[in-house]
Amino acid sequence: MLQILQDILSGLFETSGLAGLAAEPLKLLMMCVSFLFMYLAIVKGFEPLLLLPISFGMFLSNLPAVLPEDMIFHAAYWNEPQSVEWLWKVLHDGGLLDKLYLGVKLQIYPCLIFLGIGTMTDFGPLIANPKSFLLGAAAQGGIFFTFLAAGYMGMSAAECGSIAIIGGADGPTSIYVSSKLLDGADSNLNTGTIALAAYTYMALVPVIQPPIMRLLTTEKERKIKMPQLRTPSKTEKIIFPVVVTLIVALLVPSAASLVGMLMFGNILKESGVAGRLVDTAQNALMNIVTIFLGVSVGATCTASNVANWDFIKVLILGVIAFSLGTACGLGLAKLMNWLSGGKVNPLIGSAGVSAVPMAARISQQEGAKADPTNFLLMHAMGPNVAGVIGSAVAAGVLLSVINY
Amino acid sequence: MHPLLLANQLIMLAGGIDGNKRPLDDSEKWGVTLVGLGVVIAALAILVVVIMLFGKIFDQINKNQKAKASAEAEKKKPKQAPAPVKKAPAETKPAPAAAKPAAVPAVAPAAEDDEEVIAVISAVVAMMSEQDGKTYRIKSVAKSQRNNGFGGRSAWAMDGRRQNVNPF
Repeated sequence: MLQILQDILSGLFETSGLAGLAAEPLKLLMMCVSFLFMYLAIVKGFEPLLLLPISFGMFLSNLPAVLPEDMIFHAAYWNEPQSVEWLWKVLHDGGLLDKLYLGVKLQIYPCLIFLGIGTMTDFGPLIANPKSFLLGAAAQGGIFFTFLAAGYMGMSAAECGSIAIIGGADGPTSIYVSSKLLDGADSNLNTGTIALAAYTYMALVPVIQPPIMRLLTTEKERKIKMPQLRTPSKTEKIIFPVVVTLIVALLVPSAASLVGMLMFGNILKESGVAGRLVDTAQNALMNIVTIFLGVSVGATCTASNVANWDFIKVLILGVIAFSLGTACGLGLAKLMNWLSGGKVNPLIGSAGVSAVPMAARISQQEGAKADPTNFLLMHAMGPNVAGVIGSAVAAGVLLSVINY
Repeated sequence: MHPLLLANQLIMLAGGIDGNKRPLDDSEKWGVTLVGLGVVIAALAILVVVIMLFGKIFDQINKNQKAKASAEAEKKKPKQAPAPVKKAPAETKPAPAAAKPAAVPAVAPAAEDDEEVIAVISAVVAMMSEQDGKTYRIKSVAKSQRNNGFGGRSAWAMDGRRQNVNPF
Protein backbone atom coordinates (compact mmCIF):
# COMPACT_ATOMS: atom_id res chain seq x y z
CA MET A 1 0.00 0.00 0.00
CA LEU A 2 2.77 2.36 1.00
CA GLN A 3 4.65 1.40 -2.15
CA ILE A 4 1.60 2.29 -4.32
CA LEU A 5 1.27 5.67 -2.63
CA GLN A 6 4.96 6.30 -3.10
CA ASP A 7 4.72 5.39 -6.80
CA ILE A 8 1.75 7.70 -7.32
CA LEU A 9 3.48 10.59 -5.59
CA SER A 10 6.67 9.91 -7.46
CA GLY A 11 4.77 9.81 -10.76
CA LEU A 12 3.03 13.09 -9.94
CA PHE A 13 6.36 14.73 -9.10
CA GLU A 14 7.99 13.47 -12.28
CA THR A 15 5.28 15.03 -14.43
CA SER A 16 5.06 18.22 -12.38
CA GLY A 17 6.55 21.57 -13.16
CA LEU A 18 9.02 21.15 -10.31
CA ALA A 19 10.65 18.21 -12.07
CA GLY A 20 10.65 20.24 -15.27
CA LEU A 21 12.40 23.09 -13.49
CA ALA A 22 14.98 20.71 -12.06
CA ALA A 23 15.62 19.37 -15.57
CA GLU A 24 15.89 22.84 -17.15
CA PRO A 25 17.06 25.36 -14.53
CA LEU A 26 17.61 28.01 -17.23
CA LYS A 27 13.84 28.38 -17.40
CA LEU A 28 14.00 30.00 -13.99
CA LEU A 29 16.48 32.54 -15.35
CA MET A 30 14.18 33.29 -18.30
CA MET A 31 11.26 33.77 -15.93
CA CYS A 32 13.36 36.28 -14.00
CA VAL A 33 14.11 38.11 -17.28
CA SER A 34 10.38 38.19 -18.03
CA PHE A 35 9.76 39.68 -14.56
CA LEU A 36 12.38 42.36 -15.32
CA PHE A 37 10.58 43.23 -18.57
CA MET A 38 7.24 43.35 -16.73
CA TYR A 39 8.82 45.74 -14.22
CA LEU A 40 10.16 47.95 -17.04
CA ALA A 41 6.74 47.98 -18.73
CA ILE A 42 4.60 48.58 -15.64
CA VAL A 43 6.82 50.72 -13.41
CA LYS A 44 9.09 52.48 -15.91
CA GLY A 45 6.50 52.70 -18.69
CA PHE A 46 8.83 51.39 -21.45
CA GLU A 47 6.51 50.65 -24.40
CA PRO A 48 4.02 48.90 -22.05
CA LEU A 49 1.53 48.06 -24.80
CA LEU A 50 4.13 45.81 -26.41
CA LEU A 51 6.56 44.96 -23.65
CA LEU A 52 3.89 43.69 -21.25
CA PRO A 53 2.38 41.13 -23.69
CA ILE A 54 5.90 40.12 -24.79
CA SER A 55 7.12 39.66 -21.23
CA PHE A 56 4.03 37.69 -20.19
CA GLY A 57 4.34 35.50 -23.29
CA MET A 58 7.97 34.88 -22.29
CA PHE A 59 6.82 33.97 -18.78
CA LEU A 60 4.16 31.54 -20.08
CA SER A 61 6.46 29.73 -22.49
CA ASN A 62 9.12 29.27 -19.83
CA LEU A 63 6.74 27.72 -17.31
CA PRO A 64 8.21 24.32 -16.54
CA ALA A 65 6.37 21.34 -18.00
CA VAL A 66 7.64 17.82 -18.54
CA LEU A 67 4.97 16.37 -20.82
CA PRO A 68 4.78 17.87 -24.34
CA GLU A 69 0.97 18.02 -24.16
CA ASP A 70 1.22 20.28 -21.11
CA MET A 71 3.41 22.84 -22.87
CA ILE A 72 1.81 26.13 -23.88
CA PHE A 73 4.46 26.67 -26.54
CA HIS A 74 6.72 24.20 -28.34
CA ALA A 75 9.88 25.95 -29.49
CA ALA A 76 10.99 22.82 -31.36
CA TYR A 77 8.04 22.99 -33.78
CA TRP A 78 9.21 26.31 -35.18
CA ASN A 79 12.60 25.15 -36.38
CA GLU A 80 11.03 22.55 -38.64
CA PRO A 81 10.26 23.22 -42.31
CA GLN A 82 6.65 24.09 -43.01
CA SER A 83 4.45 21.44 -44.60
CA VAL A 84 0.87 20.23 -44.41
CA GLU A 85 1.89 17.58 -41.83
CA TRP A 86 3.71 20.21 -39.80
CA LEU A 87 0.66 22.48 -39.83
CA TRP A 88 -1.55 19.59 -38.71
CA LYS A 89 0.88 18.83 -35.89
CA VAL A 90 0.81 22.44 -34.68
CA LEU A 91 -2.98 22.60 -34.81
CA HIS A 92 -3.50 19.19 -33.24
CA ASP A 93 -0.70 18.90 -30.69
CA GLY A 94 0.36 22.53 -30.20
CA GLY A 95 -0.40 24.67 -27.19
CA LEU A 96 -2.39 27.90 -27.25
CA LEU A 97 0.64 30.06 -27.98
CA ASP A 98 1.72 27.76 -30.83
CA LYS A 99 -1.61 28.41 -32.51
CA LEU A 100 -1.37 32.14 -31.95
CA TYR A 101 2.20 32.13 -33.29
CA LEU A 102 0.89 30.86 -36.63
CA GLY A 103 -0.18 34.46 -37.29
CA VAL A 104 3.49 35.48 -37.07
CA LYS A 105 4.83 32.54 -39.02
CA LEU A 106 2.30 33.02 -41.81
CA GLN A 107 3.03 36.81 -41.87
CA ILE A 108 -0.56 37.73 -41.02
CA TYR A 109 0.00 39.93 -37.95
CA PRO A 110 2.64 42.28 -39.45
CA CYS A 111 0.38 43.06 -42.40
CA LEU A 112 -2.63 43.67 -40.14
CA ILE A 113 -0.50 45.97 -37.95
CA PHE A 114 0.45 47.87 -41.10
CA LEU A 115 -3.25 48.22 -41.91
CA GLY A 116 -3.82 49.79 -38.49
CA ILE A 117 -0.78 52.05 -38.86
CA GLY A 118 -2.11 53.18 -42.24
CA THR A 119 -5.38 54.31 -40.67
CA MET A 120 -3.45 56.33 -38.09
CA THR A 121 -0.86 57.91 -40.40
CA ASP A 122 -1.13 61.32 -41.98
CA PHE A 123 1.03 61.39 -45.10
CA GLY A 124 0.28 65.13 -45.49
CA PRO A 125 3.80 66.31 -44.49
CA LEU A 126 5.32 63.83 -46.97
CA ILE A 127 3.01 64.92 -49.80
CA ALA A 128 3.76 68.56 -48.98
CA ASN A 129 7.51 67.93 -49.12
CA PRO A 130 8.15 64.83 -51.29
CA LYS A 131 11.93 65.27 -50.96
CA SER A 132 11.45 63.73 -47.52
CA PHE A 133 11.23 60.38 -49.32
CA LEU A 134 14.97 60.60 -49.92
CA LEU A 135 15.65 60.93 -46.19
CA GLY A 136 13.46 57.87 -45.59
CA ALA A 137 15.54 56.04 -48.21
CA ALA A 138 18.92 57.15 -46.84
CA ALA A 139 18.07 55.95 -43.35
CA GLN A 140 17.68 52.44 -44.77
CA GLY A 141 21.46 52.52 -45.20
CA GLY A 142 21.54 51.13 -41.66
CA ILE A 143 19.89 47.93 -42.93
CA PHE A 144 22.29 47.30 -45.80
CA PHE A 145 25.52 48.30 -44.05
CA THR A 146 24.56 45.99 -41.19
CA PHE A 147 24.00 43.22 -43.73
CA LEU A 148 27.60 43.79 -44.76
CA ALA A 149 28.84 43.74 -41.13
CA ALA A 150 26.88 40.56 -40.35
CA GLY A 151 28.29 38.98 -43.50
CA TYR A 152 31.82 39.70 -42.32
CA MET A 153 30.95 38.03 -39.01
CA GLY A 154 30.40 34.79 -40.92
CA MET A 155 26.63 34.67 -40.73
CA SER A 156 24.44 33.09 -43.39
CA ALA A 157 22.49 35.23 -45.86
CA ALA A 158 19.19 34.53 -44.05
CA GLU A 159 20.71 35.54 -40.70
CA CYS A 160 22.31 38.68 -42.18
CA GLY A 161 19.00 39.78 -43.68
CA SER A 162 17.01 39.05 -40.52
CA ILE A 163 19.41 41.00 -38.30
CA ALA A 164 19.92 43.85 -40.76
CA ILE A 165 16.20 44.60 -41.00
CA ILE A 166 16.29 45.69 -37.33
CA GLY A 167 17.95 48.86 -38.69
CA GLY A 168 14.64 49.81 -40.26
CA ALA A 169 13.32 50.38 -36.70
CA ASP A 170 10.06 48.79 -37.71
CA GLY A 171 8.81 45.88 -35.58
CA PRO A 172 6.23 44.42 -38.00
CA THR A 173 8.69 44.57 -40.92
CA SER A 174 11.38 42.83 -38.85
CA ILE A 175 8.91 40.07 -37.99
CA TYR A 176 7.75 39.80 -41.59
CA VAL A 177 11.27 39.44 -43.00
CA SER A 178 12.74 37.21 -40.32
CA SER A 179 9.75 34.84 -40.27
CA LYS A 180 10.24 34.28 -44.00
CA LEU A 181 14.03 34.14 -44.11
CA LEU A 182 14.52 32.00 -41.00
CA ASP A 183 11.79 29.52 -41.88
CA GLY A 184 13.55 26.15 -41.89
CA ALA A 185 16.94 27.87 -42.08
CA ASP A 186 20.01 26.30 -40.52
CA SER A 187 20.25 28.91 -37.75
CA ASN A 188 20.05 29.41 -34.02
CA LEU A 189 18.18 32.67 -34.57
CA ASN A 190 14.41 32.91 -34.67
CA THR A 191 11.74 35.52 -35.29
CA GLY A 192 11.12 36.01 -31.58
CA THR A 193 14.66 37.08 -30.79
CA ILE A 194 14.75 39.41 -33.82
CA ALA A 195 11.43 40.97 -32.79
CA LEU A 196 12.58 41.32 -29.20
CA ALA A 197 15.74 43.15 -30.30
CA ALA A 198 13.79 45.36 -32.75
CA TYR A 199 11.20 46.42 -30.18
CA THR A 200 13.88 46.94 -27.53
CA TYR A 201 15.75 49.37 -29.78
CA MET A 202 12.51 51.10 -30.80
CA ALA A 203 11.80 51.71 -27.13
CA LEU A 204 15.35 53.03 -26.76
CA VAL A 205 15.08 55.60 -29.60
CA PRO A 206 15.22 58.50 -27.10
CA VAL A 207 18.47 57.06 -25.70
CA ILE A 208 20.23 55.98 -28.92
CA GLN A 209 19.46 58.82 -31.32
CA PRO A 210 20.16 62.12 -29.49
CA PRO A 211 23.93 61.57 -28.94
CA ILE A 212 24.38 60.66 -32.63
CA MET A 213 22.32 63.69 -33.66
CA ARG A 214 24.38 66.04 -31.51
CA LEU A 215 27.62 64.47 -32.71
CA LEU A 216 26.85 64.83 -36.41
CA THR A 217 25.27 68.30 -36.41
CA THR A 218 26.47 71.72 -35.34
CA GLU A 219 24.58 74.07 -33.01
CA LYS A 220 24.04 76.40 -35.96
CA GLU A 221 22.50 73.62 -38.06
CA ARG A 222 20.18 72.55 -35.24
CA LYS A 223 18.85 76.12 -35.04
CA ILE A 224 17.76 76.24 -38.67
CA LYS A 225 14.08 77.09 -38.97
CA MET A 226 12.16 75.56 -41.82
CA PRO A 227 9.25 77.33 -43.55
CA GLN A 228 5.72 76.13 -42.95
CA LEU A 229 4.57 73.31 -45.24
CA ARG A 230 1.68 73.68 -47.67
CA THR A 231 -1.55 71.83 -46.92
CA PRO A 232 -2.21 69.09 -49.48
CA SER A 233 -5.74 68.75 -50.83
CA LYS A 234 -7.99 65.82 -49.98
CA THR A 235 -7.75 64.54 -53.56
CA GLU A 236 -3.95 64.39 -53.31
CA LYS A 237 -4.23 62.45 -50.05
CA ILE A 238 -6.60 59.94 -51.67
CA ILE A 239 -4.48 59.47 -54.79
CA PHE A 240 -1.24 59.12 -52.79
CA PRO A 241 -1.85 55.59 -51.38
CA VAL A 242 -2.89 54.25 -54.78
CA VAL A 243 0.16 55.72 -56.53
CA VAL A 244 2.62 54.53 -53.87
CA THR A 245 1.20 50.99 -53.87
CA LEU A 246 1.31 50.82 -57.63
CA ILE A 247 4.89 52.08 -57.96
CA VAL A 248 6.25 49.93 -55.10
CA ALA A 249 4.46 46.82 -56.37
CA LEU A 250 5.85 47.39 -59.87
CA LEU A 251 9.42 47.85 -58.62
CA VAL A 252 9.58 45.52 -55.61
CA PRO A 253 6.66 43.05 -55.67
CA SER A 254 7.86 41.36 -52.45
CA ALA A 255 7.02 44.57 -50.57
CA ALA A 256 3.48 44.73 -51.93
CA SER A 257 1.86 42.95 -48.94
CA LEU A 258 3.27 45.39 -46.38
CA VAL A 259 2.98 48.58 -48.41
CA GLY A 260 -0.39 47.51 -49.82
CA MET A 261 -1.92 47.03 -46.37
CA LEU A 262 -0.37 50.28 -45.10
CA MET A 263 -1.86 52.18 -48.00
CA PHE A 264 -5.18 50.35 -47.77
CA GLY A 265 -5.49 51.56 -44.18
CA ASN A 266 -4.56 55.07 -45.29
CA ILE A 267 -7.11 55.27 -48.10
CA LEU A 268 -9.80 54.09 -45.68
CA LYS A 269 -8.89 57.05 -43.48
CA GLU A 270 -8.44 59.67 -46.18
CA SER A 271 -11.55 58.74 -48.15
CA GLY A 272 -13.69 59.78 -45.19
CA VAL A 273 -16.42 57.34 -46.21
CA ALA A 274 -15.43 54.31 -44.13
CA GLY A 275 -15.48 55.70 -40.61
CA ARG A 276 -16.54 52.42 -39.01
CA LEU A 277 -13.79 50.46 -40.71
CA VAL A 278 -11.21 53.07 -39.74
CA ASP A 279 -12.40 52.98 -36.16
CA THR A 280 -12.13 49.17 -36.09
CA ALA A 281 -8.73 49.07 -37.81
CA GLN A 282 -7.10 51.67 -35.59
CA ASN A 283 -8.61 50.53 -32.31
CA ALA A 284 -10.13 47.06 -31.94
CA LEU A 285 -8.19 45.25 -34.68
CA MET A 286 -4.90 46.94 -33.84
CA ASN A 287 -5.27 46.11 -30.15
CA ILE A 288 -6.25 42.49 -30.78
CA VAL A 289 -3.34 41.92 -33.17
CA THR A 290 -0.93 43.67 -30.80
CA ILE A 291 -1.97 41.32 -27.98
CA PHE A 292 -1.62 38.20 -30.16
CA LEU A 293 1.63 39.39 -31.69
CA GLY A 294 3.19 40.44 -28.39
CA VAL A 295 2.29 37.35 -26.42
CA SER A 296 3.26 34.90 -29.19
CA VAL A 297 6.55 36.67 -30.02
CA GLY A 298 7.37 36.74 -26.30
CA ALA A 299 6.68 33.00 -26.18
CA THR A 300 9.54 32.32 -28.59
CA CYS A 301 12.03 33.73 -26.07
CA THR A 302 12.85 30.41 -24.49
CA ALA A 303 16.15 29.74 -22.75
CA SER A 304 17.49 27.78 -25.72
CA ASN A 305 16.75 30.69 -28.07
CA VAL A 306 17.93 33.60 -25.95
CA ALA A 307 20.68 32.37 -23.63
CA ASN A 308 23.28 31.97 -26.37
CA TRP A 309 26.03 33.89 -28.13
CA ASP A 310 23.93 34.35 -31.29
CA PHE A 311 21.39 36.48 -29.41
CA ILE A 312 24.22 38.67 -28.11
CA LYS A 313 25.34 39.11 -31.73
CA VAL A 314 21.77 40.13 -32.67
CA LEU A 315 21.77 42.75 -29.92
CA ILE A 316 25.17 44.15 -30.93
CA LEU A 317 24.39 44.22 -34.66
CA GLY A 318 20.91 45.59 -33.92
CA VAL A 319 22.25 48.68 -32.18
CA ILE A 320 24.83 49.13 -34.96
CA ALA A 321 22.02 48.92 -37.56
CA PHE A 322 19.94 51.45 -35.70
CA SER A 323 22.81 53.89 -35.21
CA LEU A 324 23.92 53.59 -38.84
CA GLY A 325 20.36 54.26 -40.04
CA THR A 326 20.23 57.41 -37.92
CA ALA A 327 23.65 58.53 -39.16
CA CYS A 328 22.79 57.89 -42.84
CA GLY A 329 19.59 59.94 -42.53
CA LEU A 330 21.47 62.79 -40.84
CA GLY A 331 24.19 62.62 -43.49
CA LEU A 332 21.77 63.06 -46.38
CA ALA A 333 19.88 65.81 -44.54
CA LYS A 334 23.19 67.66 -44.10
CA LEU A 335 23.86 67.28 -47.82
CA MET A 336 20.36 68.59 -48.63
CA ASN A 337 20.97 71.50 -46.27
CA TRP A 338 24.22 72.34 -48.05
CA LEU A 339 22.65 72.04 -51.51
CA SER A 340 19.64 74.17 -50.53
CA GLY A 341 21.82 76.91 -49.04
CA GLY A 342 20.94 76.27 -45.41
CA LYS A 343 17.19 75.72 -45.69
CA VAL A 344 17.00 72.14 -44.35
CA ASN A 345 17.55 71.39 -40.68
CA PRO A 346 19.68 68.21 -40.64
CA LEU A 347 17.90 66.99 -37.50
CA ILE A 348 14.92 65.86 -39.57
CA GLY A 349 17.17 63.29 -41.27
CA SER A 350 17.33 61.05 -38.22
CA ALA A 351 13.54 60.67 -38.40
CA GLY A 352 14.05 58.65 -41.58
CA VAL A 353 14.23 55.51 -39.47
CA SER A 354 10.63 54.44 -39.27
CA ALA A 355 9.97 54.45 -35.52
CA VAL A 356 6.78 56.50 -35.84
CA PRO A 357 6.31 58.98 -34.26
CA MET A 358 9.14 58.63 -31.74
CA ALA A 359 11.95 59.49 -34.15
CA ALA A 360 10.13 62.64 -35.32
CA ARG A 361 9.53 63.57 -31.69
CA ILE A 362 13.26 63.32 -30.98
CA SER A 363 14.01 65.62 -33.94
CA GLN A 364 11.52 68.13 -32.53
CA GLN A 365 13.00 67.90 -29.03
CA GLU A 366 16.59 68.31 -30.20
CA GLY A 367 15.61 71.26 -32.40
CA ALA A 368 13.74 72.89 -29.53
CA LYS A 369 16.74 72.38 -27.24
CA ALA A 370 18.91 74.40 -29.63
CA ASP A 371 16.22 77.05 -30.12
CA PRO A 372 12.93 76.89 -28.17
CA THR A 373 11.14 78.71 -31.00
CA ASN A 374 12.08 76.03 -33.54
CA PHE A 375 9.26 73.65 -34.53
CA LEU A 376 10.46 70.69 -36.56
CA LEU A 377 7.79 68.13 -35.71
CA MET A 378 5.79 68.30 -38.94
CA HIS A 379 8.96 68.60 -41.04
CA ALA A 380 10.30 65.46 -39.34
CA MET A 381 7.02 63.56 -39.82
CA GLY A 382 7.65 63.55 -43.59
CA PRO A 383 10.91 61.51 -43.41
CA ASN A 384 9.41 59.49 -40.56
CA VAL A 385 6.47 58.14 -42.59
CA ALA A 386 8.76 57.87 -45.64
CA GLY A 387 10.90 55.60 -43.46
CA VAL A 388 7.94 53.23 -43.03
CA ILE A 389 7.62 52.93 -46.81
CA GLY A 390 11.42 52.77 -47.18
CA SER A 391 11.84 49.94 -44.69
CA ALA A 392 9.03 47.99 -46.38
CA VAL A 393 10.80 48.43 -49.73
CA ALA A 394 14.12 47.38 -48.16
CA ALA A 395 12.36 44.31 -46.75
CA GLY A 396 11.09 43.50 -50.23
CA VAL A 397 14.60 43.81 -51.65
CA LEU A 398 16.04 41.45 -49.02
CA LEU A 399 13.29 38.91 -49.65
CA SER A 400 13.94 39.16 -53.38
CA VAL A 401 17.71 38.60 -53.28
CA ILE A 402 17.82 35.95 -50.54
CA ASN A 403 16.25 32.60 -51.40
CA TYR A 404 14.29 31.19 -48.48
CA MET B 1 37.16 44.22 -56.07
CA HIS B 2 37.20 44.41 -59.85
CA PRO B 3 34.14 46.28 -61.15
CA LEU B 4 33.47 43.59 -63.76
CA LEU B 5 33.39 40.93 -61.09
CA LEU B 6 31.01 43.03 -59.04
CA ALA B 7 28.77 43.56 -62.06
CA ASN B 8 28.81 39.84 -62.74
CA GLN B 9 27.81 39.15 -59.15
CA LEU B 10 25.05 41.76 -59.31
CA ILE B 11 23.59 39.96 -62.30
CA MET B 12 23.84 36.68 -60.44
CA LEU B 13 21.95 38.27 -57.59
CA ALA B 14 18.88 38.34 -59.78
CA GLY B 15 18.80 34.58 -59.25
CA GLY B 16 19.22 35.16 -55.51
CA ILE B 17 21.59 33.93 -52.81
CA ASP B 18 20.94 30.72 -50.95
CA GLY B 19 19.67 31.76 -47.51
CA ASN B 20 21.72 29.06 -45.79
CA LYS B 21 24.96 29.94 -47.54
CA ARG B 22 27.68 30.61 -44.99
CA PRO B 23 30.02 32.45 -45.19
CA LEU B 24 29.05 34.86 -47.97
CA ASP B 25 31.56 35.93 -50.61
CA ASP B 26 32.74 39.53 -50.59
CA SER B 27 30.98 40.11 -53.88
CA GLU B 28 27.69 38.78 -52.47
CA LYS B 29 27.93 40.93 -49.34
CA TRP B 30 28.78 44.08 -51.30
CA GLY B 31 26.35 43.16 -54.05
CA VAL B 32 23.36 42.96 -51.68
CA THR B 33 24.44 46.16 -49.93
CA LEU B 34 24.88 48.21 -53.09
CA VAL B 35 21.94 46.78 -55.01
CA GLY B 36 19.67 46.96 -51.98
CA LEU B 37 20.48 50.56 -51.16
CA GLY B 38 20.37 51.50 -54.83
CA VAL B 39 16.93 49.95 -55.37
CA VAL B 40 15.47 51.56 -52.23
CA ILE B 41 16.82 55.00 -53.19
CA ALA B 42 15.68 54.58 -56.81
CA ALA B 43 12.17 53.45 -55.78
CA LEU B 44 11.72 56.35 -53.40
CA ALA B 45 13.28 58.82 -55.87
CA ILE B 46 10.66 57.78 -58.43
CA LEU B 47 8.01 58.42 -55.78
CA VAL B 48 9.53 61.88 -55.15
CA VAL B 49 9.20 62.77 -58.85
CA VAL B 50 5.66 61.38 -59.16
CA ILE B 51 4.38 63.04 -55.98
CA MET B 52 6.04 66.36 -56.93
CA LEU B 53 4.37 66.15 -60.32
CA PHE B 54 1.01 65.49 -58.69
CA GLY B 55 1.59 68.41 -56.32
CA LYS B 56 2.32 70.76 -59.23
CA ILE B 57 -0.75 69.58 -61.14
CA PHE B 58 -3.01 70.04 -58.12
CA ASP B 59 -1.51 73.44 -57.31
CA GLN B 60 -2.25 74.54 -60.85
CA ILE B 61 -5.80 73.20 -60.66
CA ASN B 62 -6.37 75.01 -57.36
CA LYS B 63 -4.92 78.25 -58.77
CA ASN B 64 -7.17 78.05 -61.81
CA GLN B 65 -10.20 77.36 -59.65
CA LYS B 66 -9.38 80.31 -57.39
CA ALA B 67 -8.82 82.63 -60.33
CA LYS B 68 -12.12 81.53 -61.87
CA ALA B 69 -13.99 82.02 -58.61
CA SER B 70 -12.53 85.49 -58.04
CA ALA B 71 -13.29 86.50 -61.62
CA GLU B 72 -16.91 85.41 -61.18
CA ALA B 73 -17.13 87.27 -57.87
CA GLU B 74 -15.79 90.42 -59.56
CA LYS B 75 -18.42 90.13 -62.26
CA LYS B 76 -21.26 89.74 -59.75
CA LYS B 77 -20.03 92.61 -57.55
CA PRO B 78 -22.14 95.80 -58.13
CA LYS B 79 -20.16 98.87 -59.04
CA GLN B 80 -19.72 101.11 -56.01
CA ALA B 81 -18.34 104.57 -55.56
CA PRO B 82 -15.03 104.46 -53.69
CA ALA B 83 -15.73 104.86 -50.01
CA PRO B 84 -13.92 107.65 -48.19
CA VAL B 85 -11.00 106.43 -46.18
CA LYS B 86 -12.10 106.19 -42.61
CA LYS B 87 -9.56 107.19 -40.09
CA ALA B 88 -9.58 104.95 -37.09
CA PRO B 89 -10.64 106.94 -34.07
CA ALA B 90 -8.36 106.77 -31.11
CA GLU B 91 -10.10 104.53 -28.64
CA THR B 92 -10.36 105.90 -25.16
CA LYS B 93 -11.31 104.31 -21.96
CA PRO B 94 -12.87 106.38 -19.20
CA ALA B 95 -11.14 106.17 -15.88
CA PRO B 96 -12.93 103.78 -13.54
CA ALA B 97 -11.91 105.77 -10.54
CA ALA B 98 -10.47 109.18 -10.03
CA ALA B 99 -6.77 108.73 -10.41
CA LYS B 100 -3.86 110.40 -12.06
CA PRO B 101 -3.38 109.19 -15.66
CA ALA B 102 -0.37 106.90 -15.83
CA ALA B 103 2.09 106.54 -18.68
CA VAL B 104 0.71 104.70 -21.69
CA PRO B 105 2.91 102.85 -24.14
CA ALA B 106 2.66 104.96 -27.23
CA VAL B 107 2.33 103.16 -30.52
CA ALA B 108 1.97 104.29 -34.09
CA PRO B 109 -1.61 104.91 -35.29
CA ALA B 110 -3.05 101.83 -36.89
CA ALA B 111 -4.20 102.02 -40.45
CA GLU B 112 -6.81 99.29 -40.15
CA ASP B 113 -7.89 98.71 -36.63
CA ASP B 114 -9.81 95.58 -36.03
CA GLU B 115 -12.70 96.53 -33.78
CA GLU B 116 -12.80 93.17 -32.04
CA VAL B 117 -9.10 93.24 -31.25
CA ILE B 118 -9.44 96.78 -29.90
CA ALA B 119 -12.36 95.68 -27.73
CA VAL B 120 -10.28 92.85 -26.28
CA ILE B 121 -7.28 95.11 -25.69
CA SER B 122 -9.55 97.70 -24.04
CA ALA B 123 -11.02 95.05 -21.75
CA VAL B 124 -7.54 93.89 -20.72
CA VAL B 125 -6.41 97.47 -20.09
CA ALA B 126 -9.55 98.13 -18.02
CA MET B 127 -8.85 95.03 -15.95
CA MET B 128 -5.24 96.11 -15.43
CA SER B 129 -6.48 99.54 -14.50
CA GLU B 130 -8.75 98.10 -11.81
CA GLN B 131 -6.00 95.90 -10.44
CA ASP B 132 -3.37 98.68 -10.37
CA GLY B 133 -5.72 101.44 -9.17
CA LYS B 134 -4.42 103.65 -11.97
CA THR B 135 -6.02 105.08 -15.06
CA TYR B 136 -4.72 104.08 -18.45
CA ARG B 137 -5.69 105.65 -21.73
CA ILE B 138 -5.32 103.93 -25.07
CA LYS B 139 -4.12 106.45 -27.59
CA SER B 140 -3.77 104.16 -30.56
CA VAL B 141 -3.42 100.54 -31.50
CA ALA B 142 -0.94 99.25 -34.05
CA LYS B 143 0.27 95.84 -35.09
CA SER B 144 3.54 94.93 -33.44
CA GLN B 145 6.71 94.50 -35.46
CA ARG B 146 6.98 91.09 -37.12
CA ASN B 147 10.69 90.97 -36.49
CA ASN B 148 10.20 89.91 -32.90
CA GLY B 149 12.59 86.97 -32.61
CA PHE B 150 9.79 84.42 -32.94
CA GLY B 151 10.39 83.73 -36.61
CA GLY B 152 7.86 86.35 -37.73
CA ARG B 153 5.05 84.89 -35.66
CA SER B 154 2.98 86.71 -33.09
CA ALA B 155 3.31 85.81 -29.44
CA TRP B 156 -0.23 84.31 -29.57
CA ALA B 157 0.64 82.12 -32.55
CA MET B 158 3.86 81.05 -30.85
CA ASP B 159 2.03 80.12 -27.68
CA GLY B 160 -0.56 78.16 -29.66
CA ARG B 161 2.13 76.18 -31.48
CA ARG B 162 3.98 75.54 -28.25
CA GLN B 163 0.81 74.16 -26.65
CA ASN B 164 0.24 71.86 -29.63
CA VAL B 165 3.80 70.57 -29.80
CA ASN B 166 4.54 70.24 -26.07
CA PRO B 167 2.66 66.92 -25.64
CA PHE B 168 5.13 65.36 -28.07
